Amino acid sequence: MTLALEVRNLVKKFGGLTATNDLSFDLAKGESLGLIGPNGAGKTTVFSQIMGELRQTSGTIKLYGEEISKLTTAERIAKGVSRTYQVPRPFAELSVRENIRVGLMPDSLRAMIFGAPDRSREAELAQSIGFAPKDLDKTASELAMGDLRKLEFARTLATGAKLLLLDEVFAGLTSGEIGMIAELIQDLRQRGFTFLMVSHDLPAMEPLVDRAIAIERGTMLANGSFADVLGDKSVRASYLGES
Amino acid sequence: MRTLDLRPHHLVLWAAFIALMLLMPLMVGNGTLRTMIFACYLAMFAISWDILSGRTGYLSFGHPFLIGIGAYTTGILTRRYGIPVEASIPIAVLVTMAGGLIILLPALRIKGSYFALVTLAVMELMLQLVPVIRPDLTGGTRGISRLPALTRGAENGYYLAAGLMLAVALFAWLLMRTRLGTALWAIGMNEESVRGSGLSTTRLKSFAFLVSAGIAGLAGAFYAHYLGSITPRSFFDINILFQIIVAVLIGGAGTIIGPIIGAFFMVFLLEWLRPYMPGTERFFVYGSIALVLYMYQPKGIMAIVDTIVSKMKGSRA
Repeated sequence: MTLALEVRNLVKKFGGLTATNDLSFDLAKGESLGLIGPNGAGKTTVFSQIMGELRQTSGTIKLYGEEISKLTTAERIAKGVSRTYQVPRPFAELSVRENIRVGLMPDSLRAMIFGAPDRSREAELAQSIGFAPKDLDKTASELAMGDLRKLEFARTLATGAKLLLLDEVFAGLTSGEIGMIAELIQDLRQRGFTFLMVSHDLPAMEPLVDRAIAIERGTMLANGSFADVLGDKSVRASYLGES
Repeated sequence: MRTLDLRPHHLVLWAAFIALMLLMPLMVGNGTLRTMIFACYLAMFAISWDILSGRTGYLSFGHPFLIGIGAYTTGILTRRYGIPVEASIPIAVLVTMAGGLIILLPALRIKGSYFALVTLAVMELMLQLVPVIRPDLTGGTRGISRLPALTRGAENGYYLAAGLMLAVALFAWLLMRTRLGTALWAIGMNEESVRGSGLSTTRLKSFAFLVSAGIAGLAGAFYAHYLGSITPRSFFDINILFQIIVAVLIGGAGTIIGPIIGAFFMVFLLEWLRPYMPGTERFFVYGSIALVLYMYQPKGIMAIVDTIVSKMKGSRA
């Protein structure tokens, strides 16, 4: 089994607060893993450490077998991991096409200046994610929340990453939009993408993951099938408030 | 052409703009031409500011510092060492880029108002330091006078300033139409997302800074030779900074053409007001106009023009 991601003994401290506490988990290539926990459990902090937006206090992170802890965010993305954010972060005044273009850009000044944008690839990516051709010239500020999520997906896919970290992917969406995004994720799973996803919408998340891990205050509570993790006493106590 | 996504109307508009600038001496008198020379230099300063601050959102309050380095370098080289201007101006550009890199680039790691404050502090520092450090070179508070003139007469001075401004504007406009321009624009909207798209934002900002400093140094050096003298107050001054920023905001930040429109608007407005308000109260008027325009349309005159053009296209369809 080829591992896409190996997190070992990850610790992140902010002064006296331990946000990630000796956390270890694996993610196989092509697998989809749900990361659940109550608000403030440290889920986004784990994402930020994997992406290099935050440096861990200790522990290791391997991507496709290679230690990436010392790499910058751009270097990690070049190695095949990318993320979305709880609140979509589009380039509001750029068009859908230009937003995707930023994701497709090589990290080289020379190539950016002298290379032409791949307009057909931009359109292909936008359409693969569900945008109509007429949407390509709309500015991001004109889009509804569901379309902003799709746009974030498109820009994340444009980086060429095969491991996608999805943070609160259903937040702020209508039930129709949740169905649309879920369908998109299923389609990407069929195409071999690997997922680590965070969502508070557990019913929407369940069919999209192979297994789940639950954390609280940065500490692993349970790791297993989605049903087993949700059935775990400690998870029910911390996450669902059951005693 | 695919790199820049150029359309026929771009070429037509540029050709018309260049033709208008070249024909201007046939249409106006020498007094107006002299005003236009100042407008051309202010436009270059504004374009320089726009490439860094208008695009990336990093507000530089230190641009007079960069312009001043260019001016002082060519002044010192020509007057103190007898180096010809053909060499002193390119050296001034390089020195501005290097000086700016060493002093201001570390500040690009700081965000928001902190960056603005650091750059402002650097400019103020230069104002205090230039008169006291090596006054034998800088001329102290009296500055350097009798710089070699590059042209004789208003018409030649205008052609030099306008030609230089057109070259700078075209270069900056073309550069901003590449993917690099899109990436810089994106930094101004959400720097974290640009980083999250796999791009090194530090490298992009550094490049924007270098281009911006290069243009500031070039324009500063030519401006010094046009004026014929340099003093610390004439370059490292907060009023120059305000004029640059207001020109960009009036015209439209991030558009390259907007700052040119803004610079001409401002310089001519101040000139027209001069007979009625010979003192500094003129600056209240332009400040008020800038404020009203900014409240009505924060994206400046260019956005108003865009809206009108879109409406005309809509009514034709």
